[in-house]
Amino acid sequence: MTTQLIYGLVTGILFGFFLQRGQVLRYDKQIGALRLMDMTIFKFMLTAILVGSVGIYLLKDLGLVKLSIKSTILGGTIIGGLIFGLGWGLLGYCPGTSMGAVGEGRWDGIWGLLGMLAGAAIYAEAYPLMKRTVLTWGDLGKITVPGILGISHWIVIPLFMLAVVGLFFWFEKKKL
Amino acid sequence: MEKLGEKKYWSPYLAGACAGLVLVLSVWFTGKYFGASTSFVRSVGLLENAISPERVSQMDYFIKTTPKIEWQWMFVFGIFIGSLLASRLSGTFKMQAVPEMWRNRFGPRISTRAIVAFLGGLVAMFGARLAGG
Repeated sequence: MTTQLIYGLVTGILFGFFLQRGQVLRYDKQIGALRLMDMTIFKFMLTAILVGSVGIYLLKDLGLVKLSIKSTILGGTIIGGLIFGLGWGLLGYCPGTSMGAVGEGRWDGIWGLLGMLAGAAIYAEAYPLMKRTVLTWGDLGKITVPGILGISHWIVIPLFMLAVVGLFFWFEKKKL
Repeated sequence: MEKLGEKKYWSPYLAGACAGLVLVLSVWFTGKYFGASTSFVRSVGLLENAISPERVSQMDYFIKTTPKIEWQWMFVFGIFIGSLLASRLSGTFKMQAVPEMWRNRFGPRISTRAIVAFLGGLVAMFGARLAGG
């Protein structure tokens, strides 16, 4: 257990380091992305997803790791996503980046962290109701894109990569 | 030429690729994928446990998500340390109560920012939990 805690801490330190160097922890960058003025966040996020998907699927094919696929529940994902976006736009940080923002001195992240604790407490109260309603709407189970299409992930990943790189070129051309 | 370690900020592509690599190594060595929201549930559960452990022990959500400090909680705390380190080393650490873009639009009042940020955090966390994030 203690080893797990140390692994968690070290992994978090590395991740936080790169978040800070990429300027991802800034309110101005996050709101800049939502206002479609500055795509820094998307460049960071999509590059991380590309590297992550290639690396993890490679390791999976070698039998070294297991995927962690969450159930797709349309009700929860769509309604939760809309609510999350509203809160994100007001706060300007997401849960992990609030913590990181405080680390680089942008201490308005603390208000966000306190709000999130309150939000988590309220959700814990609302959970029995959500479980009976929203979380039963459109439960598709543990699906993946290659799974639905019935094709290899080594077709989906390069196509996704191509689309993302195209998007990056467009961002750079538009100086976003 | 400036060394990478001394550069104030990196290209978001490079920083993102490094973050992706950290994720791959984490999944490889410990089987852990990244997340943050669950730790807020565990934290508030620990706080509520201090007030009323009987109540917490009967709540569905805290039965599903045990209030305790585990891998992800330390990961989220690590983000704070990593950001502190990176900003100190590059000289970009700056105590700031109100972000520039906010200040330009809504003024420098700390209380206004505090109220909106708190509400934003509350709403965002509720949504994230509902969406399973």
